Amino acid sequence: MDDRNFTFLFYGFAAAWGILAAYVVTLASRESNLKRQIENLKRMLEDKETSKS
Amino acid sequence: MPRPILSSALAAAGGLWLIRNLHVVTLQLPDEAAQGAVYRNLFFHVPAWFTCFTAFAFAGLAGIAYIVRKRMVFDTLAVACVEAGVAFTLIGLATGSIWARIIWGIWWTWDARLTWALITCLVYFGYLMLRESLDDPTSRARISAVFSTFAFVSVAITYKSIEWWRTQHPGPVLDFRTGGGQIDKAMQSALYHNWGALMLIAAALVLIRMRQEDSRRELEALRRYVHAQ
Amino acid sequence: MRFARHVAAIAGKDLRAEIRTKEGFNAALAFAVVILILFSFAIDPTSEQMREMSGGLLWIVFAFAGALVLNRSFPRETPNDSLDVLLASPVSPPALLLGKTIANFVILIAIESLCLPLFGILYNMDWTRQPALLAATLLLATWAITVIGTVFSALTVNLRLRELMLPVLIYPMLIPALMAAMKLTTLLIAGAPPEPGDWLWFRLLIGFDIIFTLLAQALVETVLLG
Repeated sequence: MDDRNFTFLFYGFAAAWGILAAYVVTLASRESNLKRQIENLKRMLEDKETSKS
Repeated sequence: MPRPILSSALAAAGGLWLIRNLHVVTLQLPDEAAQGAVYRNLFFHVPAWFTCFTAFAFAGLAGIAYIVRKRMVFDTLAVACVEAGVAFTLIGLATGSIWARIIWGIWWTWDARLTWALITCLVYFGYLMLRESLDDPTSRARISAVFSTFAFVSVAITYKSIEWWRTQHPGPVLDFRTGGGQIDKAMQSALYHNWGALMLIAAALVLIRMRQEDSRRELEALRRYVHAQ
Repeated sequence: MRFARHVAAIAGKDLRAEIRTKEGFNAALAFAVVILILFSFAIDPTSEQMREMSGGLLWIVFAFAGALVLNRSFPRETPNDSLDVLLASPVSPPALLLGKTIANFVILIAIESLCLPLFGILYNMDWTRQPALLAATLLLATWAITVIGTVFSALTVNLRLRELMLPVLIYPMLIPALMAAMKLTTLLIAGAPPEPGDWLWFRLLIGFDIIFTLLAQALVETVLLG
C-alpha cells in the first residue's frame, strides 16, 4: 500500500507531536515538583513556628 | 492580560491553527511529484527549524540584555527560550531524519546542515547542564548569560564554516531566499501557516517556562530564608 | 603599557608555578602520549592510512591534553582565596585573563612540540615537509583552544563537577577551529603545498581567534566580578 511512503509520513508526524508532548509532560512534572517543594517548605515553617512558641 | 491566561490563549490559538493546517496539508495539497506523501514532513521540519532559530536568537539577545541591564527577567527569558529551542531542534532533527530514511535511504549523514544542527543542539544542552550545576541565582544568571553569548557567536561561526566543509542538504526553496519560482504557492503558504502556529505554541511554552523559573527562584530564596532563621 | 606589564606578570607567575611543579604539564603530556599509543591498537594503521588521519589524531590528542591543562587554570587560584586577591590587585580582569591564556598557550605549545616528533617516530611519519605553515597552524589553533578554554575555566571555576563540565562545554564550540586545524594538518603533513582553496581554513582560524579573543576580553569582567 505504501507507494506514497505514507508510513514514514506517519512516523514523522508522530515524532514531531511526541517530542512536543514529552516537553509538555516534563514541564508539567516540574510544576508539580515545585508545588511539592513549596508544601514541604510551608510545613517546615509551621514546625519552626510551633517549636518556637 | 495575566500571564496564565495569555499562555493558555496562545496555546489554544496555536492548536486550532495547527488543526486547520493539518487539514490543508493532508487533505488539500497533492503529493509531491517525486517524493510521494512523505514530503509532508517538510511542513513540520522547516517551521520547526525556523522556530528554533527564533528561540535561540531571542536567547542570545536576552543573554546580552542581562549582561548590560542585570535584570532577572532577561535570564528567565533566556532559559525559557533555550528550552523551547532545544525541543524544536529535536523535532527538526527527528522529522528530517525520518524523511531522509526514505529519500536518501539513510537516517543520518554528515552533511553540513545536519552536522551544524547537531552541534547547536549540543551547545545548548551544555547551556542547560551549566545552569543545573549552579545554585546561586545571581551567579547562575550571570554565567549563563555569558555562556549564551558565546554560544550564539559560536553557532553563527559554525554555520558558516561547516558550509565550506560539505553539503548534501536540499538548498533553499522558499521565495524569500530564492526570489521565487522554486516552490508551489499553496505549499509555501501552508508552510508559513504552520510556522505561525508553531511560533504561537513556542510562545506559550516560553511563557509557562518563564513562570516556572520565577517560582523556582522564589522557592530557592524562601528556602534560604527558612534555613537562615 | 600598564596592561602589558600586568599581562606579563600574570603569565610569568603561572608559568613559573608550572615550571616549578610541572603538575599540569606532566599529567597532560603523559595523557597525550597514552592516547597516541592507544590509537595504534585502535586501528593498526598502514602508513598511507595514517597520513590521511594524522590531522584528526593529532588534534584530538591536543584538544584532550589541552582540557587537562585548562581545567587547572582558574581552579588553582581558589585555595587560600588567591582569586579574590588577584581581583583585588591592580590587575584588571582582561589582563588577568590574557595573562593566564598566554601561560596556558605556552604550556600547550610545549606539549604539542614534544608530541609531534613522538608521533613522527611512532607512526613512521615525516611531518617536516611544510614546517612554517604547520607551525602557523599549530599556533593559531592552539590559541583558539586556549582562549576559549581559559575563559570557560573562569566561567566554571565554582561549579560542581567542573572537571567534567569544561570539556563538554568547550568542545562543541571549538569544532570550527578543530575542523580547520585537522584539515590543514593532514594536508601539510602529506607535504603538498596548499592550494588556493586551502587558505580558506587559515582565514577561518584567524577569524575565529580574533572574534573569540575580543569576546572573551569583553565578557571576562562580567564573569569574574559580576
